[in-house]
Amino acid sequence: MLPVPLPHTLALAAVLFCLGMVGVMVRRNALVVFMCVELMLNAANLTFLAFAQAHGDTTGHVSAFFVIAVAAAEASVGLAIVIAVFRSRGTVNLEELKTMKH
Amino acid sequence: MSPSPVGPYLPLAVTLLVSGLMAAALPVLAHFLGPRRASKVKSESFECGSVSEGSARQRFAVKFYVVALLFIVFDIETVFLYPWAVNFKALGWFGYAEVAAFAATLLVGLAYVWKKGALEWET
Amino acid sequence: MTLPDLTAADLQPVLPALVLAAGASVLLLSEVFLTTASRSHLALIALGSSVLAGGVALATAFEPAHAVFQGLAVQDPFSSFVTVVVCLGLAGVVLLSADFLKQRQAERGEYYALMLFAAAGMSLLAMSAELITLFINLEVLSVSTYALTAFLRRGPRPAEAAFKYFILGAFSAALFLYGSALLYGVTGTTRLADMVGPLRTAMHTQPWLATCALALVAAGFAFKVAAVPFHMWAPDVYEGAPTPVTALMSAGVKAAAFAGLVRVFLFLGRADPEVVALALSALAVLTMVGGNLLALPQRNVKRMLAYSSIAHAGYLLLGVAALFPHPGTGVLAATPLMLGSPAVNSADAYKGILFYLLAYTVSSVGAFGVLSVLERHADGDGATAWDLDRFSGLAQRRPGWAVAMAAFMLSLAGIPPTVGFMGKLLVFRAAVDSGLLGLAIIGVLASAAGAYYYLRIVVYMFMRPAPAEGVLPEKYWATELALVASAVAVVALGVLPGRVADWLSQSGMFFGTR
Repeated sequence: MLPVPLPHTLALAAVLFCLGMVGVMVRRNALVVFMCVELMLNAANLTFLAFAQAHGDTTGHVSAFFVIAVAAAEASVGLAIVIAVFRSRGTVNLEELKTMKH
Repeated sequence: MSPSPVGPYLPLAVTLLVSGLMAAALPVLAHFLGPRRASKVKSESFECGSVSEGSARQRFAVKFYVVALLFIVFDIETVFLYPWAVNFKALGWFGYAEVAAFAATLLVGLAYVWKKGALEWET
Repeated sequence: MTLPDLTAADLQPVLPALVLAAGASVLLLSEVFLTTASRSHLALIALGSSVLAGGVALATAFEPAHAVFQGLAVQDPFSSFVTVVVCLGLAGVVLLSADFLKQRQAERGEYYALMLFAAAGMSLLAMSAELITLFINLEVLSVSTYALTAFLRRGPRPAEAAFKYFILGAFSAALFLYGSALLYGVTGTTRLADMVGPLRTAMHTQPWLATCALALVAAGFAFKVAAVPFHMWAPDVYEGAPTPVTALMSAGVKAAAFAGLVRVFLFLGRADPEVVALALSALAVLTMVGGNLLALPQRNVKRMLAYSSIAHAGYLLLGVAALFPHPGTGVLAATPLMLGSPAVNSADAYKGILFYLLAYTVSSVGAFGVLSVLERHADGDGATAWDLDRFSGLAQRRPGWAVAMAAFMLSLAGIPPTVGFMGKLLVFRAAVDSGLLGLAIIGVLASAAGAYYYLRIVVYMFMRPAPAEGVLPEKYWATELALVASAVAVVALGVLPGRVADWLSQSGMFFGTR
């Protein structure tokens, strides 16, 4: 099996990261924004793994494990907050979250 | 070349064979042994327990969310148990103590979740 | 295969964090197993844990700097001091929370447990010397604070604030993580100490990738410390969160985030000191000026304190920028690339940053404390709860609170004889010494503008008549204790900073420097 060349993986990760970043900025649905943040984290993970393979080093693999666990913890709190927003406002549209503009 | 290229794959072949036999045998056994009573609900097309027709954008009870998240959080922790299990012998008592401390922390979380009633389905 | 070696010497430095985490676990379990009617024991457990953790950190504060956990973390006076400051802030916030939660029938073990977990993350963040360890601790403290923000589920504001905080916090964490991944790529390691050399090489061989990685890491931290232009989340989140939680954000979270920032950039900054110094200086100017200007028109005191917190991040960034030699001042020639003797001129800057963290912690906990006692449960979460008029004539109705608030405001404004003045003095002097005269002048001007909105509260308290209607809340011993302790600390440390300043001037403050 031929390994995927490093630049290819890195480019894919960079594209995913940028997609996520743009998504956080332009999307208006709280859940989609949340998914975009997860996309960014996974892009970082992919970068770690690609470099770990290139360096022949396990640090990147270990990092990926920890990032997955942290992302799960973050997701559980984040989704709970989205539910709290939905319960108090009846919507998850970010355009309507404007009670505190001065 | 190694003396027997097939050797390392033998256990895999056995596993495949056994699981194939199981997969074939179980439906056949069920067909002969199981009682069959047709009903209206049973003849509907199966869709993971939800209603098979209507809008896909229905709202779910929040208890699904709680169970799903508890599952994710506790499930992800096995990510740290696998590397330990693979290196179990090499890590020895040091690794065992580390994992025990990790599991004890999780146990505190489980005790909290349990007593809090987050695992009760019917409330 | 070599086994990692874990000894008591490794565990001793993380003892404060272990105490905090154990306290949090006890709180969680007592919440479900101990169902008594009275819940005042919760605050006492939390207070005991934070005092114990702070005491342990103080006891080990004078040990020489050394690496622990195979270099994943370090213990040095810097990390111990940050832990002490965090525990002080936490103790104050717990005292404030006791009555705040009681009035709202929201005394829960989870609240204090989350605070202790957050503080454990802060303590460990100050010690982390490896990017993934840093990321995990950053997330431990952030995730706990997201949940705390949404803790009081009254009305739309807390949920909305928590959501904004969560999305921008997760966004900044992702920026930091991607930057870390790129740094790992160009250097082949995630340990800060091993990273310096390869990174310096990479600055020449792969300048774009290395600069991009550094910029992403810096942007991640800039979000966390709410530096302009990464500050837009702060006012809404500070306003929407329960007031004691806001106090924790402005005191503990800020101190820990700055500790992480200093730790990372003291190592990575050596790869290209000039660029890092320039970037930090630019952030410092924007944040000092922006924070103060945005605070000026605010009549909502909670929001005003949020912008003030941004401005204070600016002064702290000025201190961080002073850690680096500046081009064109001749300092760079004296410290050849900062490798042999990286901290020739920075002892004063450390002292400034740390003293400022202490000063800001006690002043802001006190200020948010007074705000939390004036905020009545009946107000719900309407913006009027924190209007400037709430302070009218406070000197006649509650002279003790008014005097304490005046001390906090003078301290935040940087007027002697308060700890805030000493902090600003040390930071600005360090900045001038390292060749940042222009920045120091901008800082002084910005804080002079800031004095307007702080002193306006003092004027309202002492020179406006009290409103006819409206009852003030009852006094409660825990709150009174927190306010008195903060006020005494603000004045005492301002008049006699000697002992603390001496402690901060000792050599070997920071791992990797002399």
